[in-house]
Amino acid sequence: MRWCLALFLCCFLAAVNALSSSGSRLLVVLDESTDKSLYSTLWSDLEGRGYDVSFKSPKSDKLSLFQHGERAYDHLLILPPKSKGLGPNLTPKNILDFLSKDGNIVLALSGKASTSSAISSLLLEIDIHLSNDRSAVVVDHFNYDTVSAAEKHDVLLLQRPGQLRSDVKAFFDGEGILALPRVAPQTLSSDSALVVPILQAPATAYAYNPKEEMPAAEDIEATGSQLNVVSAMQARNSARFTVLGSVEALEDKWFSASVKAPGGKTTPTVNREFAKQLTAWTFKETGVLKVGKIEHHLATDGEVAAEDLNPKIYRIKNETVFSIEISEYAYDKWVPFEVPGEDELQLEFTMLSPFHRLALEPTSRTETSTVYSTQFVTPDQHGIFSFRINYKRPFLTNIEEKHEVTVRHFAHDEYPRSWAISGGWVWIAGLWSVIGGFLAFVIVWLYSAPAADKVKKTQ
Amino acid sequence: MAQSSPLDVLLKGSSGQSTRGLLRIIILVTIAAAAVASRLFSVIRFESIIHEFDPWFNFRATKYLVQNGFYSFWDWFDDRTWHPLGRVTGGTLYPGLMVTSGVIYHILRFLTIPVDIRNVCVLLAPGFSGLTALAMYLLTCEMSTSPSAGLLAAAFMGIAPGYISRSVAGSYDNEAIAIFLLVFTFFLWIKAVKNGSIMWGALTALFYGYMVSAWGGYVFITNLIPLHVFVLLCMGRYSSRVYISYTTWYALGTLGSMQIPFVGFLPIRNSDHMSALGVFGLIQLVAFADFVRGFLPGKQFQKLLTSMILLTVGLGFGGLILLSISGVIAPWSGRFYSLWDTGYAKIHIPIIASVSEHQPTAWPAFFFDLNFLIWLFPAGVFMCFQNLKDEHVFVIIYAVLSSYFAGVMVRLMLTLTPIVCVAAALALSGILDNFLVMTKPNPESRAKATVEDSKSLRPTRDPVVGIYSYFSKTVVTCSISLYLLLFVAHCTWVTSNAYSSPSVVLASRMPDGSQFIIDDYREAYYWLRQNTPDNAKIMSWWDYGYQIGGMADRPTLVDNNTWNNTHIATVGKAMSSREEVSYPILRQHDVDYVLVVFGGLLGYSGDDLNKFLWMVRIAEGIWPDEVKERDFFTARGEYRVDEEATPAMRNSLMYKMSYFNYQSLFPTGQAVDRVRGTSVPADSPQLNTLEEAFTSENWIIRIYKVKDLDNFGRDHNNAVAFDKGLKRKRASKKKGPRVLRTE
Repeated sequence: MRWCLALFLCCFLAAVNALSSSGSRLLVVLDESTDKSLYSTLWSDLEGRGYDVSFKSPKSDKLSLFQHGERAYDHLLILPPKSKGLGPNLTPKNILDFLSKDGNIVLALSGKASTSSAISSLLLEIDIHLSNDRSAVVVDHFNYDTVSAAEKHDVLLLQRPGQLRSDVKAFFDGEGILALPRVAPQTLSSDSALVVPILQAPATAYAYNPKEEMPAAEDIEATGSQLNVVSAMQARNSARFTVLGSVEALEDKWFSASVKAPGGKTTPTVNREFAKQLTAWTFKETGVLKVGKIEHHLATDGEVAAEDLNPKIYRIKNETVFSIEISEYAYDKWVPFEVPGEDELQLEFTMLSPFHRLALEPTSRTETSTVYSTQFVTPDQHGIFSFRINYKRPFLTNIEEKHEVTVRHFAHDEYPRSWAISGGWVWIAGLWSVIGGFLAFVIVWLYSAPAADKVKKTQ
Repeated sequence: MAQSSPLDVLLKGSSGQSTRGLLRIIILVTIAAAAVASRLFSVIRFESIIHEFDPWFNFRATKYLVQNGFYSFWDWFDDRTWHPLGRVTGGTLYPGLMVTSGVIYHILRFLTIPVDIRNVCVLLAPGFSGLTALAMYLLTCEMSTSPSAGLLAAAFMGIAPGYISRSVAGSYDNEAIAIFLLVFTFFLWIKAVKNGSIMWGALTALFYGYMVSAWGGYVFITNLIPLHVFVLLCMGRYSSRVYISYTTWYALGTLGSMQIPFVGFLPIRNSDHMSALGVFGLIQLVAFADFVRGFLPGKQFQKLLTSMILLTVGLGFGGLILLSISGVIAPWSGRFYSLWDTGYAKIHIPIIASVSEHQPTAWPAFFFDLNFLIWLFPAGVFMCFQNLKDEHVFVIIYAVLSSYFAGVMVRLMLTLTPIVCVAAALALSGILDNFLVMTKPNPESRAKATVEDSKSLRPTRDPVVGIYSYFSKTVVTCSISLYLLLFVAHCTWVTSNAYSSPSVVLASRMPDGSQFIIDDYREAYYWLRQNTPDNAKIMSWWDYGYQIGGMADRPTLVDNNTWNNTHIATVGKAMSSREEVSYPILRQHDVDYVLVVFGGLLGYSGDDLNKFLWMVRIAEGIWPDEVKERDFFTARGEYRVDEEATPAMRNSLMYKMSYFNYQSLFPTGQAVDRVRGTSVPADSPQLNTLEEAFTSENWIIRIYKVKDLDNFGRDHNNAVAFDKGLKRKRASKKKGPRVLRTE
């Protein structure tokens, strides 16, 4: 009865969280002065995907990301405020705390006005950089919309991004043209492993501040594909933070606009589709990995008894099997996770440094997950080892598993016996010959003595 | 004279003998009881608790033995020490102590006496000290015909501080049973030599085997018995008694000792054991020579003997050198070298030199630990020369060797104590036997008795020696009694004041004289036990490893079983380096908490900053390029912790952990370190990669939690600066071309 109830509860919860894998409470932070209705399609799309959207002004006193020390919202969508900062309730520290507690954030910027310094310093903390004066706009004289920006060339027309690298899954690809008006560009430094570009400006693009003179050539910080239109940061706890350079791209107007590139045809934009992909990824509807069962045991023929599963202690030179079950979340359900073509899921068997680094092969598949496993012999070194899986890829949540096991030495009765080692036969023969010789000596000694006595007696 | 008083019935004739026997038993039992009782100070004053460091491991191992049985103890792989290497504990310890208390525990349980294993462990040392007193009685009785010598030796042994220092209740260490075994093995050996009996020889071997299973000091027996035999041979005292007892002991004892996994093949491979093997070979040759002597005329035999001796010595010495060079025989162990050259360890093996009990003994310690026995000791040894039998040769050799060793290492005072008791008892019993006799010697009757035998001059035949005056008898007896009383008072005072502190709990006096208990160690260890996950790894200097394992039940990186110098040096490096260097080490070793001992607030001098130079030295031994002892001394060669401390000092993890936030206890700029007696810099050191988790009441123990990597990939410096609200400078200010991501 009880498990029936649990099952029912699970179904109920599943229905409630049909979409995002991490909750549905979405807070949109937008200025009172901003017209909410400009983005009505976006709101209705999000609500249609199951989000409880609430709106707050950054200046509102009631705005708080936390309640009783817990997150009050699961996701945050911040539209660029008109005023100087995001107010006292959305300080950079609050926002980082929100991320640290597994909240996800989409931050939209706009090239229309300069970005506030609070946002700039927040982005600096996560290694996303804005231009020095924080009010640059990306311009491209080759990929602009001739319909709406014939003069200023500041409405970029871009293909949707494909695969970032050959070993990374593509979550934002598809046909069609994106229109991105007045983009505030971001640059990423190359030494941070957590930030990834989602959409880069074309090679012919550059950034400048329309209110100032063109800067001298040596002052230009970044050009072309160094400029990012959309970039993302996935923290170590897999919380996602996406920066969208152009808030206008989310407006109803651009969801349904038709654009024409220089020398091209007039085509409708796919901004709506891209907005869905972007919010879906950020709010953990896609690219979410879940580790199910992790099992390790001694290699045996046939089934492994439950009590032999996941032992705490192995011996050196044991044949060991390790398997891990991984699912991936795709919009509304868990599906088996497939490692992208050129990539590998690896297992390390580590003590201070890895003694084994092995590729895990998919061995079986359930409806919602793939089981990866491998078999190996524990090294000839006792100690406290750990099975480690450290799978961190752009756009996928991190898998960092560490399971400690002890690898012990041979027990005193696990060595082969002396007679089983042919080299020991010499010593065994020596041993028994001494014993035999001693016994023979004693016998000879005992039975040879009295003869002399007899002679004496007869005398 | 023959009036029959009621006492005479008891004191004379056969019933007198049994009365004396009964009295002797009563006296011995009383001595044993006194020995046990005087060791209970710490239990009465504090509680029934395991003391110090090593006992905590022995206690933990005993618990494991009692819970899991002998076989799993034998094969025990301990994954809670030496993380992540682990320790093959079953094969690297002397199991005698644990097995003994395990057996006692099971016997008591079998007798339905509900007893806690902890109490068995705490009271094991006092219990065995009672037995030691008895064994001492037996040993001394073999040396002297005087009835009082044995009893005196037993009494001395029972309360001599030199032995009490290692055997108070709670001092659950190998020495607790080893001293009893040492004395008893020697008793059996003397018995074997006297009787030339295989049985006594085999019993010696049996107890020697027990001793090997209990204490690394068994090497002392392994070398002393061969030396005894060797000296006897050199004195021309070869006899079949010596041959039988030595060969029996050596063959059986060596086989027995090889059964202990930790000893294994050492008896035939290690230089420390080679003298026993050599003497075993020598005695075979001597026996053979003795056998041949019966068939050869004297002159030829002399030649044969000289040539044989030369040949054997040459062959044996050459073989030893050859085998040592080729590595078949292990070189002398470092501890052994430090016995001959007291400066050796400090230069070559800092880890041995860093242990206080391996330091040379200070002279006052001899008086402190042995009181008036130390000046009776030479007299007793001299008396052995007067009546030089085989067993007296043993006493002399033992006395000479152990006096030297006790001078070299503090802890070897323990092996000196038994022989001092024997010698002192011999001397004292000689005095008492002469001075306590009421009757005057009667020269007339003596002279008559010897007059028939008049071939030599009369005075040389039988000189009349005796004490006639009651006055001198009284004076000597009184002064001896006074010394004895002073001895008891001294022993009691030393035991009570110096040796009964558990060192886990510290006691001090408040200004008004009342006792103030400092219980920081247990406070901190229980904090760890209650507040950290079961497998949280604790890094601390190795001194505290056993205690953390025993009291906090958490895995440690290094502990008092200092088998892996590199691992200890790793901890030393982490403690003595900058945070940027230490943090990767901490991460690599899965360290969750770092524990330091800081005595600055209380003036507790045994703290980590005072041991810090040892950490530096040990780390420098492995990484001479990265850690340098010189960097921790100021230009004028001073070891300072105040404003003038060197940068290496002030940036070291140990310094930062010790003084982190310490300044907040004092008004600004007045922070004082009461151990080193200096002021402390006004600003608290900044810790980026660690956060304070716990500080005990008197700040003796400070525990820090190792932070995880920053969630946003920043380094800890920047993350801490951000949390403090400092604005971050733009990275583009850096020199050189910026590298931007284009992939």
